[in-house]
Amino acid sequence: MNSTLMKTLALMAVTAATPQLAHAEWTKSYVIEWIEQASYYGAPTGIIDPGTDCPKGTNPEPNWVQMLINAGYTKEQAEWIRNPANPERSAVSGNPKMAMRGKNFTSVYKDPDSYPDPGIYEVEGRIGEGVNLDGNAKNGFTNLKGEKGIDNEFYRALGCWKTFRAPPRLSSGAQTVNDPMREGAWTMLVVVHGMGKDPMNDNKVTVGFYTSGDKMVKSGDGKIVEDFTFGIQPNARYEGIFQAKIKNGRITSTQPIEMMMRDPSPGAVRTGLEIQRAQIDFTMNADGSLKGYLGGYRPWAPVYFGWASFGQVNEVLTWIDLPASWYAMKRHADYSPTGPRGEKTHISFALRVDAIPAFVTVPDGSSLVSDVRSYKQEASAQVQPAAAPANMISRSATN
Amino acid sequence: MSSPFSRRSILRGMVGGAAVSVGIPMLDLFLDGNGQAYADTGARLPVRFGTYFWGLGLTDTPTGSRWVPKNKGPGFDITPELISLTPVKDKISIFSGYRVIGDGRPNAVHWSGHASILSGIAPLRAGQMDGPSFDTNIADAIGVGTRFKSIEVSANGKPVSYSTRSGRSFATPEPTPLALYQRLFGPGFQDPNSPSWQPDPSILLNQSVLSGVTEQRRALLKQVGKVDQMKLDQYFTSLREMENQLAIQLQRPAKAEACLIPTQPKNEPPKSASVDVINANSKAMARLLAMAMACNQTKVFNFVHTPGQSETYIAGDSKIYHQYTHDEPTDAKLGYQINTSKLAGLVMQALGDFLTEMNAIKEGDGTLLDNMVVLAFSDTGYAKIHSVENIPMIIAGGAGGKHKGGQHIAGNGDPVTRVSLTAQQLVGAPVGEFGSGAMKTARPITEVMT
Repeated sequence: MNSTLMKTLALMAVTAATPQLAHAEWTKSYVIEWIEQASYYGAPTGIIDPGTDCPKGTNPEPNWVQMLINAGYTKEQAEWIRNPANPERSAVSGNPKMAMRGKNFTSVYKDPDSYPDPGIYEVEGRIGEGVNLDGNAKNGFTNLKGEKGIDNEFYRALGCWKTFRAPPRLSSGAQTVNDPMREGAWTMLVVVHGMGKDPMNDNKVTVGFYTSGDKMVKSGDGKIVEDFTFGIQPNARYEGIFQAKIKNGRITSTQPIEMMMRDPSPGAVRTGLEIQRAQIDFTMNADGSLKGYLGGYRPWAPVYFGWASFGQVNEVLTWIDLPASWYAMKRHADYSPTGPRGEKTHISFALRVDAIPAFVTVPDGSSLVSDVRSYKQEASAQVQPAAAPANMISRSATN
Repeated sequence: MSSPFSRRSILRGMVGGAAVSVGIPMLDLFLDGNGQAYADTGARLPVRFGTYFWGLGLTDTPTGSRWVPKNKGPGFDITPELISLTPVKDKISIFSGYRVIGDGRPNAVHWSGHASILSGIAPLRAGQMDGPSFDTNIADAIGVGTRFKSIEVSANGKPVSYSTRSGRSFATPEPTPLALYQRLFGPGFQDPNSPSWQPDPSILLNQSVLSGVTEQRRALLKQVGKVDQMKLDQYFTSLREMENQLAIQLQRPAKAEACLIPTQPKNEPPKSASVDVINANSKAMARLLAMAMACNQTKVFNFVHTPGQSETYIAGDSKIYHQYTHDEPTDAKLGYQINTSKLAGLVMQALGDFLTEMNAIKEGDGTLLDNMVVLAFSDTGYAKIHSVENIPMIIAGGAGGKHKGGQHIAGNGDPVTRVSLTAQQLVGAPVGEFGSGAMKTARPITEVMT
């Protein structure tokens, strides 16, 4: 290396270091201890009662026998298919004949368009949770703070489905996904880095979402323990870095990004959750926690096929004639990556995220993170494991 | 006047030209004045051990529990799903709040719970355990000297067993009352109270043949490498168990006061999984098993009422239990899943009936149950989400006076292995610690031990 180059590099180092001396940089780090679809529950009690969100209550259990009769089975055949004494019926996968109810006994799991829209209760209320993705206050829901324009058409389409409908942390979908995460199946981290002096008010902030190979630890009361240490696990796909600002502890992204993350949804898309125009709206709380929303537009067709991959057992456990979800998402899809006139292949949605303080280290564990940056390059040589499915129902066999 | 005989005395003679050894029946002469122990050594009557498994836990929701007693310690309150245990309340301990700690291993649904309880290790994947189930250690410790080292029973019509030595293959259970009867009291059964008992010449022949094989085994083992030695050892282990079984049948069995040979079940019940059928199977099999222990056929058993993903149902209902646990919403007013709780109560009725059968047989100054340790447990806590926290566990039986029953112990997040270790120590197994990783423990629950 020649001397000129050495001097240049040294100068660059000094230049790079100088702003750090002029500002009081700060970093806060968290581990996500709960994540679920952002669904507002509009009833005062229970998890299925009628409410302002769903005036008729939760979408009721379909009449399975009638559904099969409509598909062309005789009443006797339909009742035998549903009879627990039928040896073809399995606790794990249900009765495979339930799938063959499309036109000419086509599988509705493979071809939902072969089956007429059976309909599903949709959200009728005005209150919703999430992020204003398009900046338009004239569409979408109004959030609990009275802010308008909250885009969450996924909630409008499927928010009355039992999988999602309940107060926070009580829906079957949320519990089914979060329990394995909290038992150590996967870990997600959030790192917030600011350049100003006041972490509660900072106009130059970056927020990183990372994966970790370290497992969360529960205390005896079942809560995730705070202030444990987690190392960032570089991942070539699952990472998101937002430019943001903080006002009175509220962190909002300043520009949308495109990102991938492990799909934390029930019936997860195994290839990962693609989010277009992702944005965040979080709050740093006095107790040290970080709560808020990660919103954006996700492709809706893979969501259906993710659920369909679980077969009939998914339908009977969650009370849905599954093609209803196909048509509902198609009906409410509100985004095309190719432009306003393109096919609406994506639907707005939001995840409700609860995170608690944690120590986060750089991948080799040599130090705590002191900034937010991409680690994708460091993962390029690694083979990324496929996301484990967040089972909506159990699929493993027993002995 | 002192007797020239002790319980260890053996009568030697010839039968059919072959030398035989005949043990002496267990006479009152050999017991102490209380009928609780042997007179010569003071050793207590044998304690039997069994596991009892049922699938899908009990009803435990985020807003309330239908099984966890409110009161801790002695004199706990009977909760709705434990009502069937009322007749034996003073002979059981209820354990709540114990959990599986996976050390980062994922929850293999309907598997991690009981695999951890039995092996002490959170399994890497469903269908396998990462160590032997501890019942096999107990069988090795106390199961010798009986015709069957252990008996496996599956009451749901399917051959389900969680007893394993390798973690990969599992014992083959008897899936129906008829199959269990034929195993216990069919060909080969030696009535310990029969005055006309004599050794079967064919068994003598087999015993002789197997003894010859044993000699050859020793010679063969000297000539092969280590890997082959392991293979041979595995093979001959089963052979030795057969030898032991045959040898026992060459000795007059100890007289068993409570032993009554049950009648053979007439009809094979339908292999339906409805809960009334399973419970009827379970009760019939419990009676057979109880008599097998009273007749000294075995000291160890593993009983599966329903598997982890229980498919049982109420006759006439189109939904199975597994489905109810997942799809039934919690009732807003009552705070629990109504049908799930109803099925849980029916499933627990079978456990109540099982223990009542054991408690009905008089033995010494107490009952068979007083000389037993039964560890009853399930695979999940809150089944809707396959939780492995707050898995219901129960220790039943007096353990020959070692178990201080009638208590509710709250575990406060301690590992399930503490209960497993307690059961092992109550039955007298030589084990000081159990489990691995965060579930490794050397702390039994002393509150229930005298």
